[in-house]
Amino acid sequence: MTAGLASLAARAYGLRWRVLPPLTGVAMLAMLIGAVLAAPREVIEGEVQRLMYIHVPSATIGMYGSIGVVFVASAMVLWKRDMRWDAVARGAATVGVLFTALTLLTGAIWGRPVWGVYWAWDARLTSTLVLFLIYCGYLLIRQIADPHDEQTARYAAVFAMIGALDIPLINMSVRWWNTLHPQPIVVRPLGDEALPTEMLIVLLVGTVAISLLVAWLIVLRTETELAAQRIHGLRAGVDRREAS
Amino acid sequence: MSETMAVFRKDLRLAWRDRSAWLSAAAFAAITVLTYSFAFDLATQDVRPLLPGVLWTTFLFAGILANGQSFQREAEQGTLDAMLLSPVSPTAIYVGKVLTNVVGLLTVEVAVLLLATILFGTTLLTLELSLIVFVGTIGYVSLTTLLATLGSRARARAVLLPVLALPLLVPMLIAAVRATGASLGDPVGTAPWMLLLVVFAMWTSIGGALLFPMVTER
Repeated sequence: MTAGLASLAARAYGLRWRVLPPLTGVAMLAMLIGAVLAAPREVIEGEVQRLMYIHVPSATIGMYGSIGVVFVASAMVLWKRDMRWDAVARGAATVGVLFTALTLLTGAIWGRPVWGVYWAWDARLTSTLVLFLIYCGYLLIRQIADPHDEQTARYAAVFAMIGALDIPLINMSVRWWNTLHPQPIVVRPLGDEALPTEMLIVLLVGTVAISLLVAWLIVLRTETELAAQRIHGLRAGVDRREAS
Repeated sequence: MSETMAVFRKDLRLAWRDRSAWLSAAAFAAITVLTYSFAFDLATQDVRPLLPGVLWTTFLFAGILANGQSFQREAEQGTLDAMLLSPVSPTAIYVGKVLTNVVGLLTVEVAVLLLATILFGTTLLTLELSLIVFVGTIGYVSLTTLLATLGSRARARAVLLPVLALPLLVPMLIAAVRATGASLGDPVGTAPWMLLLVVFAMWTSIGGALLFPMVTER
């Protein structure tokens, strides 16, 4: 049973380049059409509210999803001592930073007309920014040090795990810190009122589209890293043979 | 325990023999306080609202500067490898290092507090503030000592450590500044800052002791 499932999963993974890109393309197109044309105009916020269909999936799937992958892969690097997991962690970290930046950017564009400012020192915004800085630091470690050094990989994995475990403390401290400041604008939480069905459907399409895009990008980055690792290994083998 | 104390004694002796590292951190802290005084005109204004922030940024910058060198000499001379080969648990090496750094930084911080007391005419060496400084220092030193193990492997390490450490230290910085403000009589709200400081210190010291063996594994 498990062997059958494994071979099925392997066959499905073998089809990734034939399935993921066209599916992502169709879903992204559907999301754009849905967001720009199909979804109704929001009464209070106007056209800019259409950013929600990319902002919310970017934050939930793109940011938190990728960071979850980084966390799990980093734990596996420390546990299994397998550099293949390091390739997954690096790939997911790049995608995570990209979508965190996208979340902050679309949030700022959305915030300007609705709140009156691009940036507010709101608890959620501030902790997202700190998270962004932590994962930029992670990528910086990888950029500065030798990418094939196992010790650097372990160091980066430890850093990623500390970063992920720090998130609850950052959230708490920033929320307490924020309560001391005057609140210039009222942030309307999304879940406060139920979304109309049409908006919900478009949001769902957006979530599927971003999920596919994130999966595609992570797989692409991971396999690039794996290929780089193999080339590095082959080159080291050639060097050894020439030396002997 | 005796292993930890042996490493601690060794590191303290080394720190004492090579005082220049800690003296430069102390000098840096003093210069930072003076720079803040000129930049924010602290001498002529009511300093109390700004003082906690000035003190803690000074502590953090001086601490990261000093802790960044924790493993540098060890890595250069190969003594870290020798220590890892010796029958001492890596955790003992880590705890010994952290204790040395805490002792060194507490000395620097007391000096800064004395300097600030003289410069700004505010009594700072109270029992409450000493406790806050002690717990906060354990919290951030545990983290920066762990992160300093990137050692000599990376180029541009001097820039890298603050960039890596400061975002992670955001909760500790906020809590320490607020708790210090509270001890100086500022209205800082009712949030349990001291609890957050203690939780952070426990989290970083336990996490550091657990993760250090994985980082230094050869």
